[in-house]
Amino acid sequence: MTGSHSIRLITQDDKEISFDCGADENLIDAAAKADITLPAVCHEGNCGACHGHCRSGDYVQESHSAGALSEQDEGHGGILMCRTHPRGDMVVEVTSDLSHITSGPVPEPVCEVLAVDDMGGQVRRLLLKVLPDESGVVHSEFEPGQFMELEVPGTDIRRAYSISNAPNWSGELEFMIRLQPHGKFSSWLIDGAKVGDRLNTKGPEGSFLLHQAGIAPRRFVAGGTGVAPMLSMLRQMAEFQETHESHLYFGLTTEADLFAIDEIEELKASVPNLTAEVCIWKPTADWQGFTGSPVDAFKRDLQADLAKGIKPDVYLCGPPGLIDAAEAAADELGLPYSSLFSERFLPG
Amino acid sequence: MFCYQCEQTSRADGINGCASAVGNCGKDAQTSDLQDLLIHAVKGIAQYAKRARDLGVGSNDAGKFILYSMFTTLTNVNFNPARFTSMLVEAAEIRAAVKKAYEDAATAQGVAIEELSGAAAWDIPTETNELLAQAEMASVRAGEAEVGEDIVGLRALILYGAKGVCAYAYHALMLDEQSDEVYANIESTMDFLASDPTDVDALVGQALALGHTNLTVMGMLDAGNTGKFGTPEPSAARISPVAGKAILVSGHDMADLAALLKQTEGTGINVYTHGEMLPAHSYPELKKHTHLAGNYGGAWQDQQTEFANFPGPILMTSNCIIEPAASYRRRIFTAGPVGWPGLRHIENHDYSTLIQAANAMPGFAADSEEETITVGFGRDAVLGVADVVIDAVKAGAIKHFFLVGGCDGAASGRNYYSDLVDQTPKDSVILTLGCAKYRFNKTDHGDIGGIPRLLDMGQCNDSYSAIQVAVALADAFECEVNELPLSLFVSWFEQKAAAVLLTLLALNIKGITLGPTLPAFITPPVLNTLVEAFDIKANTTPEADLAAALAA
Repeated sequence: MTGSHSIRLITQDDKEISFDCGADENLIDAAAKADITLPAVCHEGNCGACHGHCRSGDYVQESHSAGALSEQDEGHGGILMCRTHPRGDMVVEVTSDLSHITSGPVPEPVCEVLAVDDMGGQVRRLLLKVLPDESGVVHSEFEPGQFMELEVPGTDIRRAYSISNAPNWSGELEFMIRLQPHGKFSSWLIDGAKVGDRLNTKGPEGSFLLHQAGIAPRRFVAGGTGVAPMLSMLRQMAEFQETHESHLYFGLTTEADLFAIDEIEELKASVPNLTAEVCIWKPTADWQGFTGSPVDAFKRDLQADLAKGIKPDVYLCGPPGLIDAAEAAADELGLPYSSLFSERFLPG
Repeated sequence: MFCYQCEQTSRADGINGCASAVGNCGKDAQTSDLQDLLIHAVKGIAQYAKRARDLGVGSNDAGKFILYSMFTTLTNVNFNPARFTSMLVEAAEIRAAVKKAYEDAATAQGVAIEELSGAAAWDIPTETNELLAQAEMASVRAGEAEVGEDIVGLRALILYGAKGVCAYAYHALMLDEQSDEVYANIESTMDFLASDPTDVDALVGQALALGHTNLTVMGMLDAGNTGKFGTPEPSAARISPVAGKAILVSGHDMADLAALLKQTEGTGINVYTHGEMLPAHSYPELKKHTHLAGNYGGAWQDQQTEFANFPGPILMTSNCIIEPAASYRRRIFTAGPVGWPGLRHIENHDYSTLIQAANAMPGFAADSEEETITVGFGRDAVLGVADVVIDAVKAGAIKHFFLVGGCDGAASGRNYYSDLVDQTPKDSVILTLGCAKYRFNKTDHGDIGGIPRLLDMGQCNDSYSAIQVAVALADAFECEVNELPLSLFVSWFEQKAAAVLLTLLALNIKGITLGPTLPAFITPPVLNTLVEAFDIKANTTPEADLAAALAA
């Protein structure tokens, strides 16, 4: 089938945006032609950044990673827009507010390395500063929860990492990067990175953002460096003195993996109503805190919340298994899917 | 939610009011309900505050909270629901303090303590779910089934007028002007509303009393602005950009602008005014800053396009914010009562982050060809040439004055005002204030004997100036204001305009043409009351209304 079809995107705040898409195009590329920049990173069905939900219309979907879109999700209309080709007019729900859907190309600023620190466990803190472009403009705007693609110096390989500091106008971008054995970016961090190095980057991207118009209590469920975007959100909450009752569940496998503990303690002191809990899955006998996954702890508390009529906004970030487990727990206990906001850590 | 406080309210399906999940202003149901609850809490504070003040233990701290709270609920001021939940917690604390002050004073003076009910006795929940569950009780239409929509409409007229008075009083407070009498009158008004009044005469009387209070408040605001920034003087305001880094300031708050001008002195950053900040260019103490570079854009309703195109950060002061688009939501900052979820709010005039943002952004690459408009015809400037004006009237060179002022808006039909001004006779003078003037203030309307035909008197906040000019002219001609060859065409949009209208009515100014549509809360019987007492008219066509005005 050929020809052009009308695509109506329904945003999270119930607004609409439309564009046309040919049968031989995918939704992301067609939107870009209409100067609508939708969240997308890998463009190959692997990262899940372009997730949407087809409310009506026919389409075909090319192959993709099961981690980015599960069979069950697909069965309920879940799509990856970079792999979706329309076969008729479509209505698609996306998880961004209209005011977060931008136009034009994503900036690609050059950054300078300000610091590389060992944070504990296998995690490095990489602090970058966005350099002015040729016209003196510093492209440093982002929203808490967004990520940047960082290019491995000397290659065209990019890796996506969430920003962990709060939006600022000094151009500083902080990342918490777990070192992967033989990982290309990890290898550079371990062996080559030094203060003053230049890095090509792209971003900000992503629609894993605070549901800022909400007044529901906030629950943050993080696995490993999935805590990074949440620290960004919480740091902004501290700056804005937001009073939402909030709890952070931070999961690690062992005590040896501990990192960012000082940062979390600092946030507990500066966010008006924040509590936090480190969850160790396989602790030593000395461990005094919660034993189990952050999803276990979240599920325990969600039951109590729902019993009191509280439906929290839940932010999930980490590996697909953690997201799936948290979503299943929420579903089992009766929390609506619309209260869940997630970002899966997948290979780019 | 139910809300009909502004001109853009829905008038579809037989319901005059926004009753859906999101109002036409962008306010969602949750925020609307929380605002209603905050107003209810304010009534409770006022009940105790009035009685405390009657016993000589008035608290201006409670009064300040009332001003700020009421201001936050104006159209397009604060749509951040989390802010309202926090303010409700604060309201409970303030009410407890005022209640204690009242009871302590009553005990000390041997006066029997009144057992108050209604809002004063409301047990304000701390859980948001429980709060929202009680929203209907606080809705503006609560009790309508028992008392009818006319009474509810009159109560709404007072409430919305009071919101406007509080907004103006807050502006005055930011300029260090406040008055025990004004706090007392506002508390008295809210106490009156808390009693769920039903007597029409009492309601109308309260509305007019509020109009008088507003005149006092606008006088304080005038004194605050002129006291801090000097007397406005006719000045050329540049409306085309100049090269360099740039910050845009919108809203109404001159104190915010003054602080920003000081902090950007010598930084190389140019500051531009937007919307109702235009009169800044006529105040000596503001325009002396050479980096107050010009005015950018037009009225508030065009901000989404204009802010997107502005190459620097934006500071939104006081009112008139609409949902920030993606293209500028990361570089718009709020101050004072303004709020929007996810926007950075600046407290205490610390603009360091805003300045940092300006330096990171491109600014204007090049100078545009210079264009200017003339502003600054406040009451002193106009009355400074009163002799010339009076002589021109006596000689027949000026045959009529038109006051065409008030708010602009997005509704179709607002070209009525530009069409009207275009058709005014060449031997007439047009006084204007408020942002409705952006429809016609860039057109050359000529002059009469050197006096420009279009005299820009400032913001809607400067309505006091227009009233003073009208009163002075009436004195000069030894007649009543209503006998002057003066026609008032007032365009309303939100609650500040409701306050100004009440002031004009309180001064017994008749024959006002009100538009572009009449308030939805004014029911036909209430309108009849206003028509009979004050000859209020609704807009028809510019031609017909102009002909009627000139024939009067």
